[in-house]
Amino acid sequence: MAVAVVAGVFGSMLGVGGGIVMVPMLSLAFGAPIKVAIATSIVCVIATSSMAQTTFASRGMTNMRLGMLLEVATCVGAVAGGVTAVLIDGRVLQFCFAAVLVYVAWQMNRRGGDVAPVRTGALEACYYDPAVGHDVEYGVRRTRLGFVLSLGAGNVSGLLGVGGGAFKVPIMNLLMGVPFKAAIATSNLMIGITAATGAAIFYGRGYMDPHYAVPAALGILVGARLGPHLAVRLSARVLGIIFQVVLLVFAAMMVVTGLGQ
Amino acid sequence: MDPIERTVRWILLCGIAVSVALMAAGLVLGVARGAALPRGVVPLAEIPRGLAALRPAAYLSLGLIVLIGTPFVRVAGSLVVFVRARDRRYVLVTASVLLVMCVSVLLGRA
Repeated sequence: MAVAVVAGVFGSMLGVGGGIVMVPMLSLAFGAPIKVAIATSIVCVIATSSMAQTTFASRGMTNMRLGMLLEVATCVGAVAGGVTAVLIDGRVLQFCFAAVLVYVAWQMNRRGGDVAPVRTGALEACYYDPAVGHDVEYGVRRTRLGFVLSLGAGNVSGLLGVGGGAFKVPIMNLLMGVPFKAAIATSNLMIGITAATGAAIFYGRGYMDPHYAVPAALGILVGARLGPHLAVRLSARVLGIIFQVVLLVFAAMMVVTGLGQ
Repeated sequence: MDPIERTVRWILLCGIAVSVALMAAGLVLGVARGAALPRGVVPLAEIPRGLAALRPAAYLSLGLIVLIGTPFVRVAGSLVVFVRARDRRYVLVTASVLLVMCVSVLLGRA
């Protein structure tokens, strides 16, 4: 449960689900069967998203329209994941995934700070950022490219069962010009929707185990109460550095699981 | 706050509160009966009977179902807000998201 609280803080602060860390931890440290571990991790993602959105949405940091638009691509991509599974070997995919994560972390690091918000007339939104002390107004660029890449990201995450948020945040931030905090909040909204679909399926198939899921969900709810407040207060620069470290951890986990197969 | 943000926030708070209350009730019942946490969930159809019989597993399962169902309701809620605002484009976008969610759940049952 303490683990779940920590996972809730980090997940909700960075807009990622953290399934790639949760699943091996549950199965190795707590001895949960792999499908039960996945089901539990998905429930955790929902809890993270729902709780964090109560904060993000009320502060106007979540771009609901952008989130819904990209969610169409993510959902369709995820459904098509089964098709890709036939075409590409899972291990190859895991190594590619790790390589992309490292590349993204490097790109974010090279950029150094947050993107400068530009008004583009598309999907514009505005939120108050306490860390800089004024309102941030921004528009979205390259909506089409972002949509296509979300298809790809949804496809890969549907296939590997992980990695939604780790791609969504950089796609929105680096490519579409969405400020880092808004990208985190919007990614947080989207992962909850994707996870709910997956969780309903796992529930129907009987892989949900209250022995793991209930304490984990309750712990996550506590942690995810705190995370968004940190995300709101911390500067985008500090958040970015934490995010890069988490991406590298994800990449390392991916390589380890890939080699372990 | 925009109407959509208010609606979503309200739905989420209700969903979390109900789900936590159900899970807490399940845990309390479990402790009262001196039983460990159950190892499996109760199928949807058997939940009403389990609730009536004060079975902890039924309360815990329903709590998880409410938690899982909350994002579905949230998407449906934002759909209603977009319909009210006559925002055609996003009615379409949100409806497709809801549709894909429901279709994948139905397909996944097989």
